[in-house]
Amino acid sequence: MGVYEGPVQVLIDELGRLPGVGPKSAQRIAFHLLKLPTEDARRLADSIIDAKARVSWCTRCFNIAEGDLCSYCRDERRDGAVVCVVEEPRDIVAVERTAEFRGRYHVLQGAISPIEGIGPEHLRVRELLVRIGAESVEEVILATNPNIEGEATAMYLANLIKPLGLKVTRIASGLPVGGDLEYADEVTLGRALEGRREV
Amino acid sequence: MTAQAARVARLALTDFRCFTNVEVELGEGLTVLRGPNGQGKTSLLEGLAWPARARSIRGVPDAALVRAGADAAVVRCEIREGTRTQSFAAEIHATGRNRLQLNGNAITRHRDLFGVLRVTVFTPDDLELVKAGPALRREYLDELLEMLAPRYVAATSDFDRVLRQRNALLKSAAREGLDTTTLAVFDEQLVSAGGEVVRGRLQLLTRLVEPARDAMRALGEGDDIAFAYVAEWGGGELVLDDLDSVEDRLREGLETLRRRELERQMTLVGPHRDELRMRLSGLEARTQASQGEQRSLALALRLAGHSVVTELTDSAPVLLLDDVFSELDARRSAVLVGLLPSGQTLLTTATAVPSGVQPACELLVQDAKVGVA
Repeated sequence: MGVYEGPVQVLIDELGRLPGVGPKSAQRIAFHLLKLPTEDARRLADSIIDAKARVSWCTRCFNIAEGDLCSYCRDERRDGAVVCVVEEPRDIVAVERTAEFRGRYHVLQGAISPIEGIGPEHLRVRELLVRIGAESVEEVILATNPNIEGEATAMYLANLIKPLGLKVTRIASGLPVGGDLEYADEVTLGRALEGRREV
Repeated sequence: MTAQAARVARLALTDFRCFTNVEVELGEGLTVLRGPNGQGKTSLLEGLAWPARARSIRGVPDAALVRAGADAAVVRCEIREGTRTQSFAAEIHATGRNRLQLNGNAITRHRDLFGVLRVTVFTPDDLELVKAGPALRREYLDELLEMLAPRYVAATSDFDRVLRQRNALLKSAAREGLDTTTLAVFDEQLVSAGGEVVRGRLQLLTRLVEPARDAMRALGEGDDIAFAYVAEWGGGELVLDDLDSVEDRLREGLETLRRRELERQMTLVGPHRDELRMRLSGLEARTQASQGEQRSLALALRLAGHSVVTELTDSAPVLLLDDVFSELDARRSAVLVGLLPSGQTLLTTATAVPSGVQPACELLVQDAKVGVA
């Protein structure tokens, strides 16, 4: 790909570092930005700087927070005895949409992945253990992703937390609600059978 | 055989290999693709088979499939089975994710394509199945497993992922010291994903023996063949009776080989280390059989795979024969022709087809164009 005049190439390079943005998209976004009226471009730049300045990590659960604690940790009505462990802040949003969970969260900020050089020491695991010790937590729900890395992380945490005498649960994986059994693929149906429960 | 047979009724390729744009209607029975070498016969088979595995049957990366100068290759086909017609489309990108569609719906997981199209491929390179190292024979078994149940599509890809993660962990242990708690987690994952693959292979192998013997007999070779599944980590040959103890053996193997794994910084326990050993009249097929016997055995393996898949899925895969007769003598060619199951078959050749072959249709592939011969 050709190299552009100084500042344009810098912009393309910076955009290209964003997740999910390849060199071609970076170029397209850059030229879109250059065509914008100055005030529109400034609004975007300001919003990035503003968000970066005002948002940080919740000191308790490591969700994104404006201030010391995130909105879930500030909410006194929430049940502190149950902690739902997720990989990323966006997973909290997914769990919240269910409106089924009234406990608190803990964000690991990733999952164990040796390929990417991410071990448990790079995740907020120590902080989780500290919380378990300090707050009166009774149950930890492991809601990491149902893939190799998420399962490994869940297994790792279970091995660590179970000996402490807490209830440790893993979210079930299975059939989508509203779907037909006959259309479920064998793998999903197999897992759903494994995780069946008495009624 | 009462099995149904899926067939590709229409195939359109855009910017795929040498083809800018080509569209063919394909009938039931035998279609012969004739034409000089290097004109696109094999590429046409490759395009037709792409939906079956969501990758090239020649084992090349997707980038190799995109015509030089184009952004993406497109494979579109209509697959007919009984009265049902499914339409498949794939946009194959040299870099980045491919876009797949089945009956107009986007598909994100490989296993959602399960069973849409199955192919059995014969190539002149099949001789390597017998002669080369164990990797190709493992691939032979795994490709068949993936045609048999979506469970194995998930198991093999899970295992690959676990293996890569675990190897990375063993490598980092050399630099940063061993984190035993994390290794224990990946050990357990290796056991469950690997166990599924090993058990699948053992069951499959048992089913392959008889049809392979039948094929050898028909090819005029001795039918005293024996398959053995050898797992060094499991203490040698594993048999069907070991099915229930595979996971325990994997755990024991991890225990025993722990030190060597850490020294060599790689996973030494699991199905990726196993060997399918074949014997002909008591002799090692890989090193002690004659070239002719090895060729027959390679054909027998393909035919046996085809018959097992047909039997278990109740649907015959599409047969693709890429230039196979150029490497076979007249006798073996004649036998192979006689053994070919009915169902859709595509055969490429640069020369004449062997006697006894009665094509329902002949197409001429030349200059990256396809016409009626």
